[in-house]
Amino acid sequence: MSGCGAVVGGVSLDNIDISTQAVIQGVITYGDVPASVGYARLLDRNDEFVAEVPISKQGEFRFFTVSGDWTIVALIPGSNSRTQVTAELGKVLDVDIVIPK
Amino acid sequence: MSNQALVDAEWALAHLDDAKVVFIEVDEDTEAYAGNHIRNAIALNWKTDLQDPIRRDFVNKQQFEALLSAKGVSNDDTVVLYGGNNNWFAAYAFWYFKLYGHGDVRLLDGGRKKWELDGRELVSEVPSRAATTYVAKDQDRSIRAFREDVLKAIGTQNLVDVRSPDEYAGRLLAPAHLPQEAARIGGHIPTAANIPWSKAANEDGSFKSIDELKALYEGAGVDLNKDTIAYCRIGERSAHSWFVLHELLGVKNVSNYDGSWTEYGSLVGVPVAVGDEPGDA
Repeated sequence: MSGCGAVVGGVSLDNIDISTQAVIQGVITYGDVPASVGYARLLDRNDEFVAEVPISKQGEFRFFTVSGDWTIVALIPGSNSRTQVTAELGKVLDVDIVIPK
Repeated sequence: MSNQALVDAEWALAHLDDAKVVFIEVDEDTEAYAGNHIRNAIALNWKTDLQDPIRRDFVNKQQFEALLSAKGVSNDDTVVLYGGNNNWFAAYAFWYFKLYGHGDVRLLDGGRKKWELDGRELVSEVPSRAATTYVAKDQDRSIRAFREDVLKAIGTQNLVDVRSPDEYAGRLLAPAHLPQEAARIGGHIPTAANIPWSKAANEDGSFKSIDELKALYEGAGVDLNKDTIAYCRIGERSAHSWFVLHELLGVKNVSNYDGSWTEYGSLVGVPVAVGDEPGDA
């Protein structure tokens, strides 16, 4: 049995059958450099919490969902932002989030 | 928020060097602790330290005693738990310490996330604590539910599914930071109310106020005079909700079903509901 713990930056795509996943991934940038401390939070179409991962030192995050509309909340010390996306089963959606300094 | 089971960062900072206060970071993946952690904190791994290596169950009383003795935790120490994932695993460990009867155990509000987002100090030095002789009590079964308890509760007692609405409805089979699984059915235990754990927490991972927490459960129509069983996927998010109900709101007749959906959703012949409504008994 696997736990529910979130892996820093998100679970690797290695050995994952993408055809059964709607992947949302990206990088959070603060100013012009990747944020190294913070969290990416995924909300559903009703703004309900779905998942959250600590971002990697390079600001990376990844979620595995189903087709639909989602909101990514970037949380970094002292700032945050919201980005709306539409994911599709079998595809990897790249989302780069820039938080201005 | 004033509650002995919950401490804030100021309380923590005042006790970081108190030898009788043991800070313990609890995660599923201890990579975070290895990178840095609150000064003088030791680590517990949710899986390798607290789960039986072969059966799906907890470590037993003797194993728990050996673990805490080796970690240098005494029966009269104040244990303060914190961790990542909005304190899910720390709340699970809190419930676990209660299960084995530890006297003074507390949770750091907001856990590792709030500490990080507030820009507080984290260090890489690992403290050493002298071994102790820890003595655990027998498991307190009143706070742990098994599948037979859950089946009896359908339509008669409170069942609270604390997963996200999409997991409750069966649209997602796992939290979205994990790959979606295919081997198990989706849905929820019939008559369970869906009160996601996240509604009890602020964005920084700290708990909402007592008034907000009361309103959350009362607004969902849960009669807290009845016995309540909380569950999620593996029992750690529901430990977070158990903490809210049992420790913050003082509801005594509440238990955590750690088998949760990974067990119930694999059982043969049990009733299952799908969609956004609780369903019938």
